Amino acid sequence: MKIVNDLNIRKQADELGVSIWQAPSFLFLLMGIIVVVAMTVVYFASMNYGSPEILIFSEFAVVIIIFTIGTFIIRNVEYMAAANKIKSEFISMASHQLKTPIAELSWASELLISKYKKGLGKKQLDLIGEISKANAHMSRLVGDLLDVARLDRGALLLAQDKINIVNIVKEVHEADLPLATAMGVKVDVIIPGSLPEIIADKRRIKVAIDNLISNAIKYTADGGYVEVRLEKDGDKINFCVKDNGIGIPEKQQDKVFEKFFRSDNSAKYKIEGTGLGLYIVKNYVEQSGGKIWFKSIENVGSSFCFSLPIVNKK
Amino acid sequence: MEKKKKIVIIEDEVILRETLQDFLEKEDFDVDSAADGEAGVEMVMRKNPDLVLLDIILPKKNGYEVITELRENQTTKDVPIILLTNLGSIRDIEKALALGATTYLVKADYQLKEIVEKIKGVLEM
Repeated sequence: MKIVNDLNIRKQADELGVSIWQAPSFLFLLMGIIVVVAMTVVYFASMNYGSPEILIFSEFAVVIIIFTIGTFIIRNVEYMAAANKIKSEFISMASHQLKTPIAELSWASELLISKYKKGLGKKQLDLIGEISKANAHMSRLVGDLLDVARLDRGALLLAQDKINIVNIVKEVHEADLPLATAMGVKVDVIIPGSLPEIIADKRRIKVAIDNLISNAIKYTADGGYVEVRLEKDGDKINFCVKDNGIGIPEKQQDKVFEKFFRSDNSAKYKIEGTGLGLYIVKNYVEQSGGKIWFKSIENVGSSFCFSLPIVNKK
Repeated sequence: MEKKKKIVIIEDEVILRETLQDFLEKEDFDVDSAADGEAGVEMVMRKNPDLVLLDIILPKKNGYEVITELRENQTTKDVPIILLTNLGSIRDIEKALALGATTYLVKADYQLKEIVEKIKGVLEM
């Protein structure tokens, strides 16, 4: 099946957003055909003429043709790499520009609520609360995009904070409670009283934990159940989120951590998201020296886990 | 009554500067602010504050230059400096910390009350 797919040049060109003439598989196919034709011509030429000059000349012609097509391929690859770099830089630049207005909105609404709320009614206060919430959401999305652009450039550097993961899980759980209540999902947290501190990027580990918990809540139907578990396992700390939600179709499971992946079920159940969450989580965890894995059965549920080393050797 | 702690904010974005100043004044700090690096250095030297909040990208003198100048001056060489970064790029932060900044925070990720907590932490209040 994969070979048939690879030979579907028009589809590949469409996917890459280039013309057929620029599709790598077309160029390789063309090169292959030319080599075969050229070899045949050389063979017959040497049979009929038998002169070394003709042979050398035709070999030379073949080399020139291959070299020309090869150059063309390299140019296209360079063109695509450059386009990808520009895209990534554009995302960085746009996100950077968005960060200032996000901070302005956030601070101005906080100042309004904390210092100038005299005379404001309940409705006004509610609306300011909505503005703050939407702004926090936007801030997260911009943060995700920035990190994706950094990952594309191989430029994501993680902070080395001393973190208390028990507290982070508690904070995230509290922050996700309104979502759970709204979705009618029960969330149980099973954590030990204390765990050793670990060295990792606090903000990003928090995002990773939040992505997994909020995903579990979003993908679990009304009346469902989510279990969050944190435990020490030798020289590692394991974090697991298990749900009895809609699960991921088996044929899509190998794509779960890909960038922009959205399961068919997310469209079917109209669950919002960018498809960046798990991609980011995987990269955060792995760059922190940890591992991530999951199990999922459609209509039964999923469990997503990661482990982080207690002593980060990275 | 204990004397109010003095803070100088060096930040060019007017809304950020004014909201931060307003909030910190509400929290009982004595706050002054400057909109560029040059005026910022001058103000810190003159006011001799307990703490400086410093943006990186600034007109006239950038944040790194401000840190270097403050650290070279006898009166300001020990003043705590909290860096206000926009992107939270580790490279920028490491550079600033190496030059002598005390700590940092990413503006869009911090609420004003968290900034106050951070300030109080640095000032050991």
